[in-house]
Amino acid sequence: MRKRRMWRELPLHLMILPGMLFVLTFSYIPMAGITIAFQKFIPAKGLFGDQKWIGLDNFRYVLDLPNFIQVMWNTLYISSFKLVLGLAVPIIFAILLNELKNEAIKRSVQTSIYLPYFLSWVVLGGILIDLLSPSGGLVNSIIKSFGLDPIFFLGDNKWFPTTLIASDIWKNFGYGTIVYMAAITGIDPGLYEAATIDGANRWRKAWHITLPGMRMVIVLLAVLSLGQLLNAGFDQVFNLYSPQVYQSGDILDTFVYRIGLLEAQYGVATAVGFFKSIVSLVLISSAYYIAYRVAKYRIF
Amino acid sequence: MSSSPAAQPAAADSFGKYDPPIELTTVRNLNDVVENNVLSVLKGETFEDNRWTRVYEELLGIKLKYDWVIKGGDTSDQYVQKLNVTLASGELPDFITVNAVQLKQLAESDQLEDMTALYEQYASPFMKEVFTQEGSGPLDAATFDGKLMAIPQVEASIERSMYIWIRSDWLSKLGLQPPKTMADVRAISKAFAENDPDGNGQKDTYGLGLTKDVFGGAMGLEGFMAGFNAYPNIWLEDETGKLVFGSIQPETRKALQALQEMQKNGEIDKEFGIKDGGKVSEQIAAGKIGMEYGEQWNSIWPLQLNKNNEKDAQWQAFPIVSESGETPKVPLKFSTTKFVAVKKGIQHPEAIIKLFNMHLEKNWGETGEFDKYYAPPNAESVWQLSPVTPYPLKKNLDAFRDIDAARKAGDMSSLKGEAKTIQEKLEMFSSGSAEGFALWGWERIYGPEGSMGIANQYDQNNQFLMDKFVGTPTPTMVERKTTLEKMQNETFIKIILGQPIEEFDKFVADWKKLGGDKIAQEVNDWYESLK
Repeated sequence: MRKRRMWRELPLHLMILPGMLFVLTFSYIPMAGITIAFQKFIPAKGLFGDQKWIGLDNFRYVLDLPNFIQVMWNTLYISSFKLVLGLAVPIIFAILLNELKNEAIKRSVQTSIYLPYFLSWVVLGGILIDLLSPSGGLVNSIIKSFGLDPIFFLGDNKWFPTTLIASDIWKNFGYGTIVYMAAITGIDPGLYEAATIDGANRWRKAWHITLPGMRMVIVLLAVLSLGQLLNAGFDQVFNLYSPQVYQSGDILDTFVYRIGLLEAQYGVATAVGFFKSIVSLVLISSAYYIAYRVAKYRIF
Repeated sequence: MSSSPAAQPAAADSFGKYDPPIELTTVRNLNDVVENNVLSVLKGETFEDNRWTRVYEELLGIKLKYDWVIKGGDTSDQYVQKLNVTLASGELPDFITVNAVQLKQLAESDQLEDMTALYEQYASPFMKEVFTQEGSGPLDAATFDGKLMAIPQVEASIERSMYIWIRSDWLSKLGLQPPKTMADVRAISKAFAENDPDGNGQKDTYGLGLTKDVFGGAMGLEGFMAGFNAYPNIWLEDETGKLVFGSIQPETRKALQALQEMQKNGEIDKEFGIKDGGKVSEQIAAGKIGMEYGEQWNSIWPLQLNKNNEKDAQWQAFPIVSESGETPKVPLKFSTTKFVAVKKGIQHPEAIIKLFNMHLEKNWGETGEFDKYYAPPNAESVWQLSPVTPYPLKKNLDAFRDIDAARKAGDMSSLKGEAKTIQEKLEMFSSGSAEGFALWGWERIYGPEGSMGIANQYDQNNQFLMDKFVGTPTPTMVERKTTLEKMQNETFIKIILGQPIEEFDKFVADWKKLGGDKIAQEVNDWYESLK
């Protein structure tokens, strides 16, 4: 009985094979490179050459560096706000957009909020410097027209993290919105009709039908994004930060880039990468567990 | 040297031909300039088989073979990654061009041929002359424990000289004279910010252009600070003969204080701290900045951008000045950063030195054919086809001197080689054609009032102050340099933007504590080891 079932499902198992090979080749085999984190690595001697083993020295070195605590704090601060708002904003926007009955307006709004997603941070960095300039930028002209003092968004340590978070949301929320819109279209219209007959207003319907209907997608995206908690966005920060805002804007990735890659300290860079992976693994596992307990959600 | 160098016994080794021919392997990058401006116009030549590879094969009996060629610049991601993979694999080609850190790693893992004796024996007198034109620095940089572990790809530090580039049309408009002291520089900067030099009735111009990188070849501060006898980022010898780091000296504090005053006065853009070179060059192009410190080529970039926008704009380079009016020192950062390393155990390690000899000889030697091998009019960068590219370190200055002498004698026919090529550009500019207009930047360098004339003056006055540390990064430097640099730029920018000058004293204390003292110790140990 059991054997026959295996036999019947063999084609399905074979279909997983290429994927497994892919993961094995590109994700598991390269993990051997983690050994670099425990070596005083000299590239010229080769990956499996006669390298000097130094135990946890690379990790100790990183923890000893001045500012590491500050950098860690910046990373967590910036990325947790990005995480929460990056989830909430598209959800709210998708629900609001769903209430729009005019298809043409709906589409054009959808397209225009999706647009910044396609611009790279190199390009956006240049645009933002002009746009946010306290002397001649558009944003500050508006602030000034209300009789307020101009704000140096990119040069003031008080404002820089907020600017990072806001510009990141602005760039990416269009993408999230489209995913949620897709989830909403999957909801049975019969539920809305029934609710209308029961006398539910728009808010009631959004709260009791639309939101629960999106639950699975929300949980999935939340679980996936938790694994990224220690990635506060290298591209963005690298293109927007400056010595003036190192204090509030330097994150783990820019820190590693400067220390590890510019000075060819591969051992140190790998140690930090390894450290990040472990933290991410713990986070994503616990998120998965919580998602199961709270929302009965599981992938397998 | 006679026309057939091989016939002379003294130089026989330097140019001796291998018979039968030998083969040398290396790796290369193929950049856009070579691909589009050189190979595409040369008939019958490829990256693997061209006038340079033929010279090496015909005259030296050396066949070059590339293990791999990557398209892109030598700092492009693809090239750097492929190079790193090659180094990590441990399978080196016969010779390979690497940076100082890579060289150190290769030397430490005992993979390189000791070139000390071979250099003495095979380097031609011309090569030895070129390699010591800036003192022993280039060779010291490739020397570990007294052994020469690579042939440096020499670069001219003299090209790091600083000039004050000023909008001279603004100077005359406001009735000002070129600066003679730092007080004059400050006065010009003030006038440019306050007296509406662009005549639009608004206070929207700045005196001095600066970027968030603070230092560098364009819009950098090295030249300004030198006016206060401050020499940040380089190692100097103090009265006791010890090396000290320029950034932490009291003179630097003074220079920062002056900049702070200028910023408070609106002479420096309050937003410079977030703007990179590209952003500041936009401001220069728009005619908002009237002065910047930089190197001799600044007229080509970014100043030509301004010229293109405003036909009547004019910029001129002036020598840097000091507070007292005495001739200031011109700091030069050591620029040889690439090294040609030779794999241990190859049969003819000396052949690499012969490539260097030949490259110098064919371009600048007695048998040289500059027009064929360095810069033919249709393919200016033909020299880049050679895997080794040494050049006389004062070649640009020499070209200027030749042009200037010819100009004064009124006879341009005597010019040859590089000087002739440049003179043709200057003539094209003075013809007034549209094509010539694009060469304005060149006229500002080699013309009668060009930056090279000032380089000449610096050279004759012995004004150069060389960076005294030319070794590979010390262990603590590798560990802490970026951290210390970050702290330095952060502090300097904050002070210029108005934080109390006492921040500088805190920076000095922190710098020492966070590894600076240890670096200074290592640097001095290295310095001692040379004596």
